[in-house]
Amino acid sequence: MTFRTRLLLVFTLAVVASVGMVEWLVTRATREAFERVEGQRADVLAAQFQREFDRRGQEIVRAVKDIAVSDAAIAAAISPDESAYYNEASAMARAHGLGLLELVGGDGAIISSAEWPVRFGYKEAWLAASSGWNPGVAFLRREELPGGLTLALAAVETVNAGGRQLYVVGGQQLDQDFLATLVLPAGMRVLLYRNLEAQFASHLLTGSADSAADAQEFQPLIERLIREPRVHLAVLGSGAAAETVHAVPLTGSENNLLAVLLIASSRRDLVQLENSLARTGAGVAAGAIFIGILMAAWATARVTRPVRRLAESAGKVAAGNWDTTVEVTSQDEVGQLAQAFNRMTHELLEQRQRLLQTERVAAWRELARRLAHELKNPLFPLQITVENMQRARDSHPQEFDEVFREGSRTLLAELANLKQIIARFSDFAKMPAPAVQPANLNVLVGETMKLFEAQFAQAKVNARVELAPNLPTVSADPEQITRALRNLVLNAIDAMPEGGTLAVRTMPQGSGVRLEVCDSGKGLSHEECERLFTPYYTTKTHGTGLGLAIVQSVVSDHHGRVSVESQPGKGATFRIDLGDR
Amino acid sequence: MRTKPADGRGGTCFSLPAPDCGRVVARPRAWTVALLLAVVLPYAAGSATRPRYGGTLRVETHAPVETADPPQTGPGMPDLAPAFAITRWEAGRRAVYAADENAPGGRPFLDAVEVELARSPRDQGIDLDVGKADLIEIPPGEARRQPAGRRTWSSRPVRVLLLQFGTRVDDSRAREALALAVDRSAIFNVLLQRQGEISGALLPQWLSGYAFVFAAASDPAKARDLAAAIPASARSFSIGVEDAALRPIAERIALNAHDAGLAVWVAAQGGADVRLIELRIAAAEPERALAAVAAELGLPAPGRADSPGALYNAERGMLDGFRVVPLFHLADVYGVAARVKGGPGISPLGEWRFENLWLEAGRP
Repeated sequence: MTFRTRLLLVFTLAVVASVGMVEWLVTRATREAFERVEGQRADVLAAQFQREFDRRGQEIVRAVKDIAVSDAAIAAAISPDESAYYNEASAMARAHGLGLLELVGGDGAIISSAEWPVRFGYKEAWLAASSGWNPGVAFLRREELPGGLTLALAAVETVNAGGRQLYVVGGQQLDQDFLATLVLPAGMRVLLYRNLEAQFASHLLTGSADSAADAQEFQPLIERLIREPRVHLAVLGSGAAAETVHAVPLTGSENNLLAVLLIASSRRDLVQLENSLARTGAGVAAGAIFIGILMAAWATARVTRPVRRLAESAGKVAAGNWDTTVEVTSQDEVGQLAQAFNRMTHELLEQRQRLLQTERVAAWRELARRLAHELKNPLFPLQITVENMQRARDSHPQEFDEVFREGSRTLLAELANLKQIIARFSDFAKMPAPAVQPANLNVLVGETMKLFEAQFAQAKVNARVELAPNLPTVSADPEQITRALRNLVLNAIDAMPEGGTLAVRTMPQGSGVRLEVCDSGKGLSHEECERLFTPYYTTKTHGTGLGLAIVQSVVSDHHGRVSVESQPGKGATFRIDLGDR
Repeated sequence: MRTKPADGRGGTCFSLPAPDCGRVVARPRAWTVALLLAVVLPYAAGSATRPRYGGTLRVETHAPVETADPPQTGPGMPDLAPAFAITRWEAGRRAVYAADENAPGGRPFLDAVEVELARSPRDQGIDLDVGKADLIEIPPGEARRQPAGRRTWSSRPVRVLLLQFGTRVDDSRAREALALAVDRSAIFNVLLQRQGEISGALLPQWLSGYAFVFAAASDPAKARDLAAAIPASARSFSIGVEDAALRPIAERIALNAHDAGLAVWVAAQGGADVRLIELRIAAAEPERALAAVAAELGLPAPGRADSPGALYNAERGMLDGFRVVPLFHLADVYGVAARVKGGPGISPLGEWRFENLWLEAGRP
């Protein structure tokens, strides 16, 4: 990732984070305000429910009182034959608009029941105990019906007549009809869970309009309230269907939890508001991000342009263009960096020129040393020979002719030697460009090794040739390759003054070929290996030091590669790779 | 035989239906003498008034007889023959009978009998009060609620109310548990308003003389023990009841069963595990009555019973295993308008005997 991309990314992230933070703050503030309003609405509804509850309770108390003072109730109380009043409660309940009505004898036995007529004779123990109800006050209680338990808002009045007692127990079921009478604001609903069984049961949850199909959603909240009977608040559901639910416990006269009132307020408006904010925020954020990216691109371009020019200039320097400079356009850190770069390239250029000059001087010195060394050897016999000829003419004139003839031969031989030395230097200086043609290295090796057979015998060298069959041809100048091979063979013979083994091998190497020349000579040190191909460098007491330099020059002109592998005392192996690019 | 003076005033006019008389005469028994006296005496008392010819007796019943043709068996309308012949039949609504001028016992005093079918007990009571009906049925629970001065005719307890288990309830302990759970006294005192008799026998006490031997008391503790000993699946069954008037009794039985640990609910008759049904005692002769009951219940016909002991054993055999649990014996009770004279118009077995009735207003 480029510096510019990173910079752009950082700018973009900063813009996105800023916009996101602003939107989060706005959304949070909105939600808090909305939930405050929701809480107030729920409180109002709970108060409305309580008022309705009280009003219904008063109606029931009045109806029960009316029944208790009626002639029929008094007749039932004083009648010795209670069975005659078996059907009385149903008619009384209808007449007074009660859903539930029981006439119960003083002993607690039911005389007549509107809700369960055939339950006559059964005992209502809680009435006789008189601890579970207060006269003149409506209260919640569990009521047993043929279909099971139900929850009722009930009131009890006592009739005392003729020395007998009769309880009038009337009430209404707290059910869907009761809830349906509540006037609810839009978006709110009321549910009632009747705590009639030990475990949560979905059929006990009733809504104001219909049975609560989503009863299971309320289960955790209801179970929590049953464990901790106090007002609980929870958000149920998700998305636009979510609701804020206030759970209010409803207790009986003995403070036992009989029901849970659930006031649910739809969060649809809040979700829509949040969605609207999110959409607006997304639009603003997109715009801000777009503008931010544009500005970030402009800013990063300004910042990174000098850096990029600097990097390009550094690349040019690395490619060898040492006189590269960078335009300094400012005086800030980037400008200072550019000035430092320019100083650095200037210094590098000067140092390189100094190094070249030094190397050139060193090369000339080496050449002079080598020339002096090479020329000194034949000059010394020349000097001795001339001095011998002078001494013979002065001291032994009779032997001068003989000495002269001998001296002339020596002088001619040494002059020929000098001439050869000069020719070698001349040849190295005039290395021609290779005339490439398809060449078979095996053929060249075979021909070269034949030329050296006599020399191998004289030097006690056991020469071995290992040629790979089907060796591919390579594009090469046969003359120059043969010349390089001759130099390597001569170098190997020189490396084995006491004789030894010489192996010349050819083998395929990638798409090209490899030539190896191995000797069993005294070997080379690591430093000698590194300097071996330097012109005029030699480890021998004779020679010009140009042999391996010529090898490297030939191989290099053929776009090949020459290397040496050797350890002191273990011989050396020279390798030439050709034709594998 | 019955004779009538030509001027229409009643003379000595009591009689027994020929078939019944035939049955009694064919096999007289000492213990049926009381029955004969009970049949004869009311007829003798009714003959003291002076009858008139004419008028239509308006009868209302709650039974919705839906058959395409008029019923040919059982009490009620079929008993009108041969004094009356049917002239109009609207299934489920109305039947009209006209006096037969050539009836074997002479022409009846009434010109016609009009029977209104499928009338609820409440509507019947209203119709009788406002004079739209002359004779109505009174359910047992309403018998004691009749207005003061209202005339009623009652038969002997001739209907047996019983529980019959279907084949699905194959654990006799479950059947016995329900039989012991039923509190007959509470039902008798409240729902039946003490009309009829509590009984554990098929034949009523007045007919067999040994009905009291069959246990009819509830034993909730033993019922609970029995219910607890049987698998839960065997403790659950439904009670079917066809007659809406009997539904409260079925519901009370279900409540008693619930207290005993049985899961019993009231359902429609079809497919119920237990049926609460009412059978009519169709004969005044105990052996024949028991055989008829056995036939109605789909039980094997009891063997020949020449003595009360043999008859008891036969009935005991029918009740062993608690497939059938008799609960009550009920009487037919009718409310009668003041203008109806010459009654009672029903026999001790609940059969209609309208040939000696006349209406006070007479022919308009």
